[in-house]
Amino acid sequence: MKNYQVLDIIHLTTSVCKIKTERPDSLIYAGQCFNVGVPGDSVNREYSMYSSANADYLEFLVRVLEEGHVSPLLQRLKVGDFLEIDGPYGQFILREPENQSLRYVFLGTGTGIAPFRSFVKTYPKINYQIIHGIRYPEEQYDKSDYIDGKYVSCISKNDAGSPSRRVTDYLLENPIDKDSVVYLCGNKNMIIDVFEILRDQQVPGNNIFTEVFF
Amino acid sequence: MKISISYPPIVNDLGQKAMVSQNRNVQFFKKPTYLLPVVYAQAATWLKELGHQVYWDDGNAQLKSYNKWVEDLVAWKPEVIVFEATTPVMKFYWSMIDYVKEKLPEAIIIMTGYHSMRKPEETLLKCNADMVIRSSHVDFMLSRIVPYIENNKNWRLTLSLEGLLIRMNGKELRSTGNFRQVEPLDRSPIIDRDLVRWGDYAYENGNFLQTPGTYATSVIRDCMFGKCTFCRYNGPDLTFSLMSVQRSLDEYEDLIKNKGVREIFDDSGVWYRGKEAREFAQGIIDRGLHKMGCYFGINTRFEYLDEETIKLLGKANFRFVLLGYEAADEETLARLNKGYQLQHVESCLNWLTQYGMHPHLTIMVGYYWQTQEMLDKTVSEVKRLMFSGLARTLQVTLCTPLDYTPYHQECIDNKVLLTDDYNDFDMSKLIVKTPIPHAQYYKAVKEMYSIAFDPRFIWRQIMFLRTMQKKDWQFLFTYGVRAIRRVRQHIFNLTVNNA
Repeated sequence: MKNYQVLDIIHLTTSVCKIKTERPDSLIYAGQCFNVGVPGDSVNREYSMYSSANADYLEFLVRVLEEGHVSPLLQRLKVGDFLEIDGPYGQFILREPENQSLRYVFLGTGTGIAPFRSFVKTYPKINYQIIHGIRYPEEQYDKSDYIDGKYVSCISKNDAGSPSRRVTDYLLENPIDKDSVVYLCGNKNMIIDVFEILRDQQVPGNNIFTEVFF
Repeated sequence: MKISISYPPIVNDLGQKAMVSQNRNVQFFKKPTYLLPVVYAQAATWLKELGHQVYWDDGNAQLKSYNKWVEDLVAWKPEVIVFEATTPVMKFYWSMIDYVKEKLPEAIIIMTGYHSMRKPEETLLKCNADMVIRSSHVDFMLSRIVPYIENNKNWRLTLSLEGLLIRMNGKELRSTGNFRQVEPLDRSPIIDRDLVRWGDYAYENGNFLQTPGTYATSVIRDCMFGKCTFCRYNGPDLTFSLMSVQRSLDEYEDLIKNKGVREIFDDSGVWYRGKEAREFAQGIIDRGLHKMGCYFGINTRFEYLDEETIKLLGKANFRFVLLGYEAADEETLARLNKGYQLQHVESCLNWLTQYGMHPHLTIMVGYYWQTQEMLDKTVSEVKRLMFSGLARTLQVTLCTPLDYTPYHQECIDNKVLLTDDYNDFDMSKLIVKTPIPHAQYYKAVKEMYSIAFDPRFIWRQIMFLRTMQKKDWQFLFTYGVRAIRRVRQHIFNLTVNNA
């Protein structure tokens, strides 16, 4: 049994929560994912880690899907409950985190920002820019964790008087330096569109890494 | 342009044919199963739609001898030839390509497949192929490459599409970098079944309970999990792409109503789950396709489908559900990054069986760390699941490191590989150092396949007849007879080297 206790759960919006759990005793690289499920349910889903790889706990950013099976169960968890966690898995990790001359661009939609916060928390000295595609202003999760000016949100349904825009609009207006190393995480349509723009901006395919969310 | 998508027939000294096509590890079989290479079939369809002449050239499925295959290919005079290969047949392909190039010096030879994808330089150094496509999205790549070549004489120098290694002249090579990991699958055409002679693949397939059967356009390419270390769908440059539910449903409807297909299998690394899986099953029901005598089959993972979804799949007439059950010990599952816990295997199988499906287990033996205790546990658990009726069929393979997967690389790094001759990677024998003699693994293979002849298993199948479901009767009386032949072949193939 690989059960880990829930240490904290914060409901960031009506449909997104941050779950903090005990940490498995294994080597973890920032940005990796875990299979998470509720004990006895026999169904799990992959979630990218949201916390630092060096922390003595794990954090996940969970978006509750209306027709989902696992995420509504996760949303109802209480502190002290247990979760089944398998992992870590995956190679969506930074290749050269010690190389401070590299410029990283992290581009995610919604909870797709999770591995990027993990990168930034684990390697605070990296030179990075986060471009976060969201629908509403309240989805700028833990914005204060990022250095001023390093986090840009692209809000598609901005009702605060500011113009609405998507990550693709932002990229067209603010071309990426072609030597950047770009990480994309989120839904497939965003990734397909962004890849096209990045290639037009001469970013080589070798410098683009992707993780798709279902 | 004239483009040939070609699979040469390969026959070994025992008269067995190598089955080479997308998604599978090469194995030699006397009585082969012919699988439609789905992505290549989409590529052929796409190229035809773009106005090119396409020659669907599967020498295996078309039952050609090697000489006849070469003769026909040369006579057709293609301008572009596309091949696919994996580790155990690489050496064959290198020499075959050189021979074809000699006969057709003007033809541009494009090499694809998971081995070349990982070792593109090796492919171009070992043979006279002109280009390696490093992407698994061969359809998207060819739909861009072929028109470019047609319109640009200087393509070797100027083609900038990412994911290629191109021979410039002689030994000078040019890389265009990493490929696009995600492609919009809805833009790749649904397979033109007549173009790819779908009937050649509709009968000789051990997994079909009814024929004609066929493979659907995969809704997911490659695998949405993609973390299992032995699997070629695992790599830093790989993720997955997804096709829409409605598009897949349209194809199923066409196959059933217009082609008379009676069993459809989707060979996606892992099929839909959650909302998409339910939407698909509901779509089958809403369109009335569940009442047309056609069974549906998928690959899935333990802990992916919940009971509600499985119930709906049962209602929609799903039958064959293939699950990777690589071992019955937690250490092996953890080392393989399988991502599920053994304690949940039974619930999943219970649901599948309860709602009328036939779970099929794929088991592997011979990991370089597998002890006798681990092996015994796997054999005894597999027996328990089969005798209790929780699983209906199985296949056992010798775990063979292939195509520079993480497991393959691990074997190299840990110096446990007993050979570096690619011909030895054909899954007919163990090629890694193991803690116990290889004979023990072969014995286990035999023991697991012999479950099919055990009175406890047969009795359980008879008990299933009480459900009065047609598929259970077919299973016992149609599939059962066929299974005996196939089990004998598997036992022969996997134990022939156990002298």
